[in-house]
Amino acid sequence: MTNLIKFENVSIGYGKDVFAESVNLAVDPNQFWGVLGPNGSGKTTFLKTSLNLIPPVSGQISLKNTLVFGYVPQSEKFDPIFPISVMELVSMGRYSRVKPGRKLSKNDNDMIELSIEKIGLSNLRYRPFRSLSGGEKQRALLARSIAGEPDLLVLDEPTASVDIKGEAEIMELVKKIQTERSLAVIMVSHFLHTVSEYSDHLILIDKDANIFHAGEKSEVLKKESLDNLFGLRPNLD
Amino acid sequence: MSILNEFINSYFLWRDPMIVGAVTGAACGFLGVYVVLRRIIFVSATLTQISSFGVALSFYLAGLGLTMFSALIGPFALSLILTMIAAGFYALKRDFTRISREGVIAFGFLIASGGVIILGDKITSGAHDIATILFGSAVVVDPMDVYLIPAIAAVVFIIHLIYYKDFIFISFDTESARLFKYPVRRLNTLLLITVAIIVAVTTRALGALPVFGLLALPPLASLYLTEKLPLVFVFSVIIGMLSAVLGYFFSFILSIPTGASIAVCASLFFILALLSREIKNSA
Repeated sequence: MTNLIKFENVSIGYGKDVFAESVNLAVDPNQFWGVLGPNGSGKTTFLKTSLNLIPPVSGQISLKNTLVFGYVPQSEKFDPIFPISVMELVSMGRYSRVKPGRKLSKNDNDMIELSIEKIGLSNLRYRPFRSLSGGEKQRALLARSIAGEPDLLVLDEPTASVDIKGEAEIMELVKKIQTERSLAVIMVSHFLHTVSEYSDHLILIDKDANIFHAGEKSEVLKKESLDNLFGLRPNLD
Repeated sequence: MSILNEFINSYFLWRDPMIVGAVTGAACGFLGVYVVLRRIIFVSATLTQISSFGVALSFYLAGLGLTMFSALIGPFALSLILTMIAAGFYALKRDFTRISREGVIAFGFLIASGGVIILGDKITSGAHDIATILFGSAVVVDPMDVYLIPAIAAVVFIIHLIYYKDFIFISFDTESARLFKYPVRRLNTLLLITVAIIVAVTTRALGALPVFGLLALPPLASLYLTEKLPLVFVFSVIIGMLSAVLGYFFSFILSIPTGASIAVCASLFFILALLSREIKNSA
Protein backbone atom coordinates (compact mmCIF):
# COMPACT_ATOMS: atom_id res chain seq x y z
CA MET A 1 0.00 0.00 0.00
CA THR A 2 1.57 3.31 -1.05
CA ASN A 3 -1.19 5.52 0.38
CA LEU A 4 -0.43 6.80 3.85
CA ILE A 5 -4.14 7.09 4.67
CA LYS A 6 -7.00 5.68 2.60
CA PHE A 7 -10.71 6.36 3.17
CA GLU A 8 -13.13 3.82 1.65
CA ASN A 9 -16.82 4.71 1.81
CA VAL A 10 -16.32 6.37 5.16
CA SER A 11 -19.07 8.16 7.07
CA ILE A 12 -17.79 10.74 9.52
CA GLY A 13 -19.51 12.02 12.65
CA TYR A 14 -20.58 10.92 16.11
CA GLY A 15 -23.23 8.17 16.34
CA LYS A 16 -26.29 9.25 14.38
CA ASP A 17 -24.88 12.72 13.77
CA VAL A 18 -23.17 12.02 10.42
CA PHE A 19 -21.96 15.02 8.43
CA ALA A 20 -20.02 13.34 5.60
CA GLU A 21 -21.01 10.12 3.86
CA SER A 22 -19.28 7.84 1.34
CA VAL A 23 -15.99 9.66 1.63
CA ASN A 24 -13.27 8.18 -0.60
CA LEU A 25 -9.88 9.79 -0.54
CA ALA A 26 -6.20 8.92 -0.22
CA VAL A 27 -3.33 10.86 1.29
CA ASP A 28 -0.01 10.14 -0.43
CA PRO A 29 3.59 11.12 0.36
CA ASN A 30 4.58 14.68 -0.53
CA GLN A 31 0.99 15.94 -0.64
CA PHE A 32 -0.14 18.98 1.35
CA TRP A 33 -3.78 18.71 2.38
CA GLY A 34 -5.56 21.71 3.78
CA VAL A 35 -8.74 21.17 5.79
CA LEU A 36 -10.85 24.29 5.73
CA GLY A 37 -14.09 25.26 7.38
CA PRO A 38 -15.62 27.73 9.80
CA ASN A 39 -15.41 27.23 13.58
CA GLY A 40 -17.44 24.23 14.73
CA SER A 41 -17.71 22.87 11.19
CA GLY A 42 -16.40 19.37 11.99
CA LYS A 43 -12.73 19.86 11.02
CA THR A 44 -11.41 18.40 14.26
CA THR A 45 -13.83 15.46 14.05
CA PHE A 46 -12.55 14.78 10.53
CA LEU A 47 -8.95 15.03 11.72
CA LYS A 48 -9.46 12.70 14.68
CA THR A 49 -11.29 10.21 12.47
CA SER A 50 -8.40 10.30 9.96
CA LEU A 51 -5.95 9.56 12.75
CA ASN A 52 -8.07 6.70 14.13
CA LEU A 53 -8.52 8.59 17.41
CA ILE A 54 -12.28 8.24 16.96
CA PRO A 55 -13.85 5.47 14.86
CA PRO A 56 -15.70 6.26 11.61
CA VAL A 57 -19.47 5.82 11.75
CA SER A 58 -19.12 3.37 8.83
CA GLY A 59 -16.61 2.41 6.14
CA GLN A 60 -12.93 1.76 6.48
CA ILE A 61 -9.86 3.89 7.06
CA SER A 62 -6.56 2.17 6.34
CA LEU A 63 -3.27 3.53 7.62
CA LYS A 64 0.04 2.42 6.17
CA ASN A 65 1.56 -0.16 8.52
CA THR A 66 4.77 1.71 9.17
CA LEU A 67 3.17 5.16 9.25
CA VAL A 68 4.76 7.52 11.78
CA PHE A 69 2.83 10.65 12.70
CA GLY A 70 4.13 14.04 13.66
CA TYR A 71 1.37 15.91 15.45
CA VAL A 72 1.03 19.62 16.18
CA PRO A 73 -2.05 20.18 18.33
CA GLN A 74 -3.29 23.61 19.33
CA SER A 75 -0.90 24.95 21.95
CA GLU A 76 -3.79 26.08 24.20
CA LYS A 77 -4.75 22.47 24.82
CA PHE A 78 -1.73 21.91 27.10
CA ASP A 79 -2.26 22.45 30.81
CA PRO A 80 0.11 25.23 31.94
CA ILE A 81 0.48 23.60 35.37
CA PHE A 82 3.10 21.26 33.83
CA PRO A 83 6.64 22.66 34.18
CA ILE A 84 7.77 20.99 30.95
CA SER A 85 10.86 22.46 29.27
CA VAL A 86 11.14 22.89 25.52
CA MET A 87 13.69 20.06 25.51
CA GLU A 88 11.30 17.72 27.34
CA LEU A 89 8.46 18.70 25.02
CA VAL A 90 10.49 18.02 21.88
CA SER A 91 11.65 14.68 23.34
CA MET A 92 8.02 13.57 23.44
CA GLY A 93 7.90 13.77 19.64
CA ARG A 94 10.50 11.01 19.57
CA TYR A 95 8.30 8.68 21.63
CA SER A 96 6.59 7.60 18.40
CA ARG A 97 9.73 5.50 17.88
CA VAL A 98 10.46 4.52 21.49
CA LYS A 99 8.26 1.92 23.17
CA PRO A 100 6.87 2.39 26.69
CA GLY A 101 9.38 1.38 29.35
CA ARG A 102 12.34 2.02 27.04
CA LYS A 103 14.81 4.87 27.42
CA LEU A 104 15.82 7.27 24.65
CA SER A 105 19.00 6.13 22.88
CA LYS A 106 21.89 8.37 21.83
CA ASN A 107 20.46 8.39 18.31
CA ASP A 108 17.09 9.53 19.70
CA ASN A 109 18.75 12.32 21.68
CA ASP A 110 20.74 13.41 18.61
CA MET A 111 17.53 13.62 16.60
CA ILE A 112 15.88 15.69 19.34
CA GLU A 113 18.85 18.09 19.36
CA LEU A 114 18.76 18.32 15.57
CA SER A 115 15.05 19.14 15.57
CA ILE A 116 15.57 21.92 18.13
CA GLU A 117 18.39 23.41 16.06
CA LYS A 118 16.47 23.03 12.80
CA ILE A 119 13.55 25.08 14.12
CA GLY A 120 15.89 27.66 15.69
CA LEU A 121 15.02 26.98 19.31
CA SER A 122 18.51 26.26 20.67
CA ASN A 123 18.46 29.34 22.92
CA LEU A 124 15.08 28.35 24.36
CA ARG A 125 15.70 24.65 24.97
CA TYR A 126 15.67 24.89 28.79
CA ARG A 127 12.86 27.44 29.01
CA PRO A 128 9.50 26.22 30.36
CA PHE A 129 7.10 25.64 27.48
CA ARG A 130 4.35 27.51 29.33
CA SER A 131 6.44 30.71 29.45
CA LEU A 132 6.86 30.94 25.66
CA SER A 133 4.96 33.32 23.37
CA GLY A 134 2.30 31.94 21.01
CA GLY A 135 4.70 31.81 18.06
CA GLU A 136 7.49 30.22 20.10
CA LYS A 137 5.08 27.59 21.38
CA GLN A 138 4.05 26.68 17.83
CA ARG A 139 7.70 26.42 16.79
CA ALA A 140 8.42 24.17 19.78
CA LEU A 141 5.50 21.97 18.78
CA LEU A 142 6.80 21.87 15.21
CA ALA A 143 10.22 20.78 16.51
CA ARG A 144 8.47 18.09 18.52
CA SER A 145 6.56 16.90 15.47
CA ILE A 146 9.69 16.39 13.36
CA ALA A 147 11.75 14.78 16.16
CA GLY A 148 10.05 11.45 15.41
CA GLU A 149 11.07 11.59 11.70
CA PRO A 150 7.43 11.32 10.62
CA ASP A 151 5.94 10.33 7.28
CA LEU A 152 2.89 12.46 7.88
CA LEU A 153 2.68 15.81 9.64
CA VAL A 154 -0.69 16.66 11.15
CA LEU A 155 -1.28 20.27 12.18
CA ASP A 156 -4.39 21.42 14.02
CA GLU A 157 -4.82 25.20 13.59
CA PRO A 158 -1.06 25.83 13.85
CA THR A 159 -1.40 29.59 13.38
CA ALA A 160 -4.48 30.19 15.51
CA SER A 161 -2.63 31.95 18.35
CA VAL A 162 0.00 33.94 16.44
CA ASP A 163 0.12 37.30 14.67
CA ILE A 164 0.43 37.71 10.89
CA LYS A 165 4.25 37.78 10.95
CA GLY A 166 4.37 34.71 13.17
CA GLU A 167 1.87 32.96 10.94
CA ALA A 168 4.01 33.53 7.85
CA GLU A 169 7.14 32.29 9.67
CA ILE A 170 5.43 29.13 10.86
CA MET A 171 3.92 28.35 7.49
CA GLU A 172 7.27 28.89 5.74
CA LEU A 173 8.85 26.48 8.23
CA VAL A 174 6.14 23.88 7.63
CA LYS A 175 6.55 24.19 3.86
CA LYS A 176 10.35 23.95 4.13
CA ILE A 177 10.14 20.83 6.31
CA GLN A 178 7.64 19.25 3.94
CA THR A 179 9.77 19.91 0.88
CA GLU A 180 13.06 18.79 2.45
CA ARG A 181 11.69 15.54 3.84
CA SER A 182 9.02 14.77 1.20
CA LEU A 183 6.42 14.59 3.95
CA ALA A 184 2.69 14.46 3.59
CA VAL A 185 0.94 17.22 5.53
CA ILE A 186 -2.64 17.53 6.76
CA MET A 187 -3.32 20.99 8.10
CA VAL A 188 -6.57 22.13 9.67
CA SER A 189 -7.31 25.84 9.58
CA HIS A 190 -10.15 28.27 9.33
CA PHE A 191 -7.94 30.77 7.50
CA LEU A 192 -8.69 30.56 3.77
CA HIS A 193 -5.56 32.44 2.72
CA THR A 194 -3.22 30.18 4.74
CA VAL A 195 -4.69 26.97 3.42
CA SER A 196 -5.04 28.07 -0.18
CA GLU A 197 -1.47 29.38 -0.38
CA TYR A 198 0.35 26.32 0.87
CA SER A 199 -1.79 23.28 0.11
CA ASP A 200 -2.14 21.31 -3.12
CA HIS A 201 -5.21 19.35 -1.95
CA LEU A 202 -8.19 20.68 -0.08
CA ILE A 203 -11.04 19.47 2.06
CA LEU A 204 -13.89 21.90 2.65
CA ILE A 205 -16.11 21.03 5.61
CA ASP A 206 -19.24 22.50 7.11
CA LYS A 207 -21.41 19.97 8.90
CA ASP A 208 -24.27 22.45 9.41
CA ALA A 209 -24.50 23.15 5.68
CA ASN A 210 -23.84 19.50 4.73
CA ILE A 211 -20.72 20.45 2.84
CA PHE A 212 -17.83 18.03 2.34
CA HIS A 213 -15.66 18.53 -0.74
CA ALA A 214 -12.26 16.86 -1.11
CA GLY A 215 -9.78 16.82 -3.96
CA GLU A 216 -7.11 18.83 -5.72
CA LYS A 217 -7.05 22.50 -4.83
CA SER A 218 -8.01 23.66 -8.32
CA GLU A 219 -11.08 21.40 -8.28
CA VAL A 220 -12.27 22.28 -4.80
CA LEU A 221 -11.42 25.96 -4.54
CA LYS A 222 -14.25 27.29 -6.64
CA LYS A 223 -16.42 30.31 -6.15
CA GLU A 224 -19.52 28.21 -5.48
CA SER A 225 -17.91 26.09 -2.78
CA LEU A 226 -16.45 29.08 -0.97
CA ASP A 227 -19.71 30.95 -1.25
CA ASN A 228 -21.51 27.99 0.31
CA LEU A 229 -18.87 27.48 2.99
CA PHE A 230 -18.24 31.01 4.21
CA GLY A 231 -21.03 32.99 2.62
CA LEU A 232 -18.29 34.81 0.71
CA ARG A 233 -18.24 36.26 -2.78
CA PRO A 234 -14.50 35.91 -3.39
CA ASN A 235 -12.61 37.27 -6.38
CA LEU A 236 -10.37 34.38 -7.43
CA ASP A 237 -9.11 35.96 -10.62
CA MET B 1 17.25 21.73 75.57
CA SER B 2 15.88 19.25 78.06
CA ILE B 3 12.94 18.54 75.73
CA LEU B 4 15.35 17.79 72.92
CA ASN B 5 17.41 15.55 75.20
CA GLU B 6 14.29 13.77 76.26
CA PHE B 7 13.34 13.31 72.62
CA ILE B 8 16.76 11.91 71.70
CA ASN B 9 16.83 9.62 74.73
CA SER B 10 13.44 8.24 73.76
CA TYR B 11 14.60 7.21 70.28
CA PHE B 12 13.39 3.65 70.84
CA LEU B 13 9.87 5.07 71.01
CA TRP B 14 9.94 7.13 67.85
CA ARG B 15 12.46 5.33 65.66
CA ASP B 16 10.00 2.96 63.94
CA PRO B 17 7.14 5.44 63.48
CA MET B 18 9.56 8.02 62.16
CA ILE B 19 11.02 5.58 59.62
CA VAL B 20 7.50 4.75 58.45
CA GLY B 21 6.58 8.44 58.41
CA ALA B 22 9.66 9.46 56.42
CA VAL B 23 9.14 6.72 53.84
CA THR B 24 5.45 7.65 53.60
CA GLY B 25 6.41 11.31 53.13
CA ALA B 26 8.86 10.42 50.38
CA ALA B 27 6.48 8.05 48.57
CA CYS B 28 3.44 10.33 48.83
CA GLY B 29 5.56 13.36 47.89
CA PHE B 30 6.73 11.58 44.75
CA LEU B 31 3.35 10.22 43.65
CA GLY B 32 1.62 13.43 44.64
CA VAL B 33 3.37 15.22 41.77
CA TYR B 34 1.25 13.19 39.34
CA VAL B 35 -1.83 13.73 41.49
CA VAL B 36 -1.37 17.51 41.41
CA LEU B 37 -0.30 17.80 37.76
CA ARG B 38 -3.22 15.68 36.59
CA ARG B 39 -5.56 17.78 38.74
CA ILE B 40 -6.88 14.73 40.58
CA ILE B 41 -6.13 15.86 44.12
CA PHE B 42 -9.63 14.91 45.19
CA VAL B 43 -9.27 11.44 43.70
CA SER B 44 -6.42 10.98 46.16
CA ALA B 45 -8.59 12.37 48.99
CA THR B 46 -11.28 9.86 48.03
CA LEU B 47 -8.75 7.02 47.88
CA THR B 48 -7.52 7.81 51.40
CA GLN B 49 -11.13 7.76 52.66
CA ILE B 50 -11.86 4.48 50.86
CA SER B 51 -8.69 3.05 52.33
CA SER B 52 -9.86 4.17 55.80
CA PHE B 53 -13.22 2.59 55.10
CA GLY B 54 -11.41 -0.69 54.29
CA VAL B 55 -9.57 -0.53 57.62
CA ALA B 56 -12.79 0.25 59.54
CA LEU B 57 -14.73 -2.47 57.70
CA SER B 58 -12.02 -4.98 58.51
CA PHE B 59 -12.24 -4.18 62.24
CA TYR B 60 -16.03 -4.30 62.07
CA LEU B 61 -16.07 -7.71 60.36
CA ALA B 62 -13.48 -9.03 62.80
CA GLY B 63 -15.76 -7.87 65.61
CA LEU B 64 -18.57 -9.93 64.10
CA GLY B 65 -16.40 -13.01 64.43
CA LEU B 66 -15.92 -13.70 60.72
CA THR B 67 -12.63 -15.44 61.34
CA MET B 68 -12.84 -17.76 58.32
CA PHE B 69 -12.16 -14.73 56.12
CA SER B 70 -9.43 -13.47 58.42
CA ALA B 71 -6.84 -13.28 55.67
CA LEU B 72 -9.16 -11.31 53.42
CA ILE B 73 -10.65 -9.08 56.07
CA GLY B 74 -7.33 -8.06 57.61
CA PRO B 75 -7.05 -4.25 57.60
CA PHE B 76 -4.23 -4.24 55.09
CA ALA B 77 -5.81 -6.66 52.59
CA LEU B 78 -9.29 -5.13 52.66
CA SER B 79 -8.01 -1.57 52.51
CA LEU B 80 -5.76 -2.49 49.58
CA ILE B 81 -8.49 -4.31 47.65
CA LEU B 82 -11.07 -1.53 48.04
CA THR B 83 -8.56 1.22 47.22
CA MET B 84 -7.34 -0.60 44.12
CA ILE B 85 -10.89 -1.19 42.90
CA ALA B 86 -11.62 2.53 43.35
CA ALA B 87 -8.37 3.53 41.61
CA GLY B 88 -9.13 1.20 38.71
CA PHE B 89 -12.60 2.69 38.41
CA TYR B 90 -11.32 6.28 38.36
CA ALA B 91 -8.56 5.37 35.89
CA LEU B 92 -10.79 3.55 33.41
CA LYS B 93 -14.03 5.50 33.71
CA ARG B 94 -13.13 9.08 32.88
CA ASP B 95 -16.29 10.34 31.19
CA PHE B 96 -19.74 10.32 32.68
CA THR B 97 -22.91 11.33 30.92
CA ARG B 98 -25.22 13.82 32.65
CA ILE B 99 -22.92 14.36 35.67
CA SER B 100 -19.38 15.67 36.08
CA ARG B 101 -16.37 13.59 37.07
CA GLU B 102 -16.01 15.75 40.19
CA GLY B 103 -19.50 14.63 41.19
CA VAL B 104 -18.51 10.97 41.04
CA ILE B 105 -15.33 11.71 43.02
CA ALA B 106 -17.41 13.54 45.65
CA PHE B 107 -19.80 10.58 45.79
CA GLY B 108 -16.89 8.19 46.49
CA PHE B 109 -15.48 10.53 49.14
CA LEU B 110 -18.78 11.04 50.94
CA ILE B 111 -19.95 7.43 50.97
CA ALA B 112 -16.54 6.26 52.22
CA SER B 113 -16.35 8.98 54.89
CA GLY B 114 -19.90 8.28 56.03
CA GLY B 115 -19.17 4.55 56.07
CA VAL B 116 -16.08 5.04 58.23
CA ILE B 117 -18.01 7.06 60.83
CA ILE B 118 -20.95 4.63 60.92
CA LEU B 119 -18.66 1.60 61.22
CA GLY B 120 -16.58 3.44 63.81
CA ASP B 121 -19.68 3.81 65.90
CA LYS B 122 -20.38 0.09 65.59
CA ILE B 123 -16.87 -1.16 66.34
CA THR B 124 -17.03 -2.53 69.84
CA SER B 125 -13.32 -2.87 70.55
CA GLY B 126 -12.14 0.25 72.34
CA ALA B 127 -8.60 -0.31 71.08
CA HIS B 128 -9.53 0.69 67.57
CA ASP B 129 -10.40 4.32 67.93
CA ILE B 130 -11.88 5.48 64.63
CA ALA B 131 -10.38 8.93 65.03
CA THR B 132 -6.99 7.27 64.70
CA ILE B 133 -7.96 5.83 61.34
CA LEU B 134 -9.28 9.15 60.11
CA PHE B 135 -6.73 11.59 61.42
CA GLY B 136 -3.76 9.36 62.13
CA SER B 137 -1.86 8.60 65.26
CA ALA B 138 1.39 7.05 64.07
CA VAL B 139 2.52 7.00 67.69
CA VAL B 140 3.01 3.28 67.43
CA VAL B 141 3.30 1.40 64.17
CA ASP B 142 3.13 -2.30 63.49
CA PRO B 143 6.76 -3.61 63.54
CA MET B 144 6.04 -5.25 60.17
CA ASP B 145 5.33 -1.83 58.67
CA VAL B 146 8.94 -0.78 59.19
CA TYR B 147 9.89 -3.36 56.56
CA LEU B 148 6.68 -3.64 54.55
CA ILE B 149 6.14 0.04 53.71
CA PRO B 150 9.74 0.74 52.57
CA ALA B 151 9.68 -2.50 50.51
CA ILE B 152 6.41 -1.56 48.79
CA ALA B 153 7.63 2.02 48.27
CA ALA B 154 10.82 0.66 46.67
CA VAL B 155 8.84 -1.52 44.23
CA VAL B 156 6.59 1.42 43.34
CA PHE B 157 9.64 3.64 42.84
CA ILE B 158 11.22 1.08 40.48
CA ILE B 159 7.99 0.94 38.44
CA HIS B 160 8.06 4.73 38.21
CA LEU B 161 11.71 4.76 37.26
CA ILE B 162 10.96 2.39 34.35
CA TYR B 163 7.85 4.23 33.17
CA TYR B 164 8.80 7.81 34.08
CA LYS B 165 8.76 9.16 30.52
CA ASP B 166 5.53 7.31 29.74
CA PHE B 167 3.64 8.47 32.85
CA ILE B 168 4.65 12.07 32.12
CA PHE B 169 3.70 11.69 28.45
CA ILE B 170 0.22 10.28 29.05
CA SER B 171 -0.40 12.84 31.78
CA PHE B 172 0.69 15.82 29.66
CA ASP B 173 -0.56 14.88 26.19
CA THR B 174 -2.95 11.94 26.12
CA GLU B 175 -3.98 12.58 22.53
CA SER B 176 -0.46 12.29 21.12
CA ALA B 177 0.15 9.23 23.27
CA ARG B 178 -2.91 7.58 21.68
CA LEU B 179 -1.70 8.61 18.24
CA PHE B 180 1.68 7.01 18.96
CA LYS B 181 -0.18 3.82 19.95
CA TYR B 182 0.80 4.05 23.61
CA PRO B 183 -1.32 1.78 25.86
CA VAL B 184 -2.80 4.85 27.55
CA ARG B 185 -5.48 3.03 29.55
CA ARG B 186 -3.08 0.43 30.86
CA LEU B 187 -0.49 3.04 31.81
CA ASN B 188 -3.15 5.22 33.47
CA THR B 189 -4.37 2.24 35.45
CA LEU B 190 -0.83 1.26 36.47
CA LEU B 191 -0.14 4.82 37.62
CA LEU B 192 -3.29 5.05 39.73
CA ILE B 193 -2.80 1.52 41.10
CA THR B 194 0.64 2.53 42.39
CA VAL B 195 -1.00 5.54 44.06
CA ALA B 196 -3.71 3.27 45.48
CA ILE B 197 -1.18 0.78 46.91
CA ILE B 198 0.82 3.50 48.65
CA VAL B 199 -2.39 5.14 49.92
CA ALA B 200 -3.68 1.82 51.26
CA VAL B 201 -0.53 0.80 53.12
CA THR B 202 0.28 4.24 54.49
CA THR B 203 -3.28 5.18 55.50
CA ARG B 204 -3.42 2.11 57.70
CA ALA B 205 -0.16 3.16 59.36
CA LEU B 206 -0.57 6.95 59.58
CA GLY B 207 -4.25 7.76 58.93
CA ALA B 208 -6.18 9.45 56.13
CA LEU B 209 -5.46 13.09 56.98
CA PRO B 210 -1.62 13.00 56.94
CA VAL B 211 -1.56 10.78 53.84
CA PHE B 212 -3.84 13.17 51.95
CA GLY B 213 -1.75 16.09 53.19
CA LEU B 214 1.50 14.45 52.06
CA LEU B 215 0.04 13.65 48.63
CA ALA B 216 -1.13 17.21 48.00
CA LEU B 217 1.02 19.75 49.83
CA PRO B 218 4.68 18.80 49.07
CA PRO B 219 4.07 18.78 45.26
CA LEU B 220 2.15 22.07 45.48
CA ALA B 221 5.05 23.63 47.41
CA SER B 222 7.58 22.23 44.92
CA LEU B 223 5.73 23.71 41.96
CA TYR B 224 6.35 27.13 43.54
CA LEU B 225 10.04 26.40 44.11
CA THR B 226 11.16 25.29 40.65
CA GLU B 227 10.24 25.36 36.96
CA LYS B 228 12.08 22.09 36.25
CA LEU B 229 9.98 18.94 36.31
CA PRO B 230 12.65 16.51 37.62
CA LEU B 231 13.40 18.96 40.45
CA VAL B 232 9.68 19.14 41.30
CA PHE B 233 9.87 15.41 42.09
CA VAL B 234 13.10 15.81 44.11
CA PHE B 235 11.82 18.77 46.16
CA SER B 236 8.48 17.08 46.71
CA VAL B 237 10.15 13.95 48.10
CA ILE B 238 12.37 16.03 50.41
CA ILE B 239 9.46 18.20 51.63
CA GLY B 240 7.31 15.10 52.15
CA MET B 241 10.04 13.46 54.28
CA LEU B 242 10.72 16.64 56.26
CA SER B 243 7.00 17.20 56.88
CA ALA B 244 6.61 13.69 58.27
CA VAL B 245 9.78 13.81 60.41
CA LEU B 246 9.17 17.33 61.76
CA GLY B 247 5.48 16.55 62.21
CA TYR B 248 6.40 13.60 64.36
CA PHE B 249 9.00 15.62 66.28
CA PHE B 250 6.53 18.42 67.13
CA SER B 251 3.87 15.89 67.97
CA PHE B 252 6.28 14.29 70.45
CA ILE B 253 7.54 17.43 72.16
CA LEU B 254 4.24 19.35 72.14
CA SER B 255 1.99 16.34 72.84
CA ILE B 256 -0.26 17.06 69.86
CA PRO B 257 -1.88 14.51 67.47
CA THR B 258 0.75 13.19 65.05
CA GLY B 259 -1.40 13.09 61.90
CA ALA B 260 -2.52 16.67 62.35
CA SER B 261 1.02 17.76 63.16
CA ILE B 262 2.33 16.19 59.90
CA ALA B 263 -0.44 17.89 57.87
CA VAL B 264 0.30 21.28 59.48
CA CYS B 265 4.05 20.92 58.86
CA ALA B 266 3.37 20.16 55.18
CA SER B 267 1.07 23.21 55.08
CA LEU B 268 3.85 25.39 56.54
CA PHE B 269 6.24 24.21 53.81
CA PHE B 270 3.59 25.17 51.27
CA ILE B 271 3.25 28.65 52.79
CA LEU B 272 7.06 29.07 52.85
CA ALA B 273 7.30 28.04 49.19
CA LEU B 274 4.52 30.47 48.28
CA LEU B 275 6.28 33.30 50.14
CA SER B 276 9.62 32.50 48.52
CA ARG B 277 7.98 32.69 45.08
CA GLU B 278 6.36 36.03 45.96
CA ILE B 279 9.69 37.41 47.21
CA LYS B 280 11.46 36.16 44.08
CA ASN B 281 8.83 37.73 41.83
CA SER B 282 8.95 41.07 43.59
CA ALA B 283 12.80 41.21 43.61
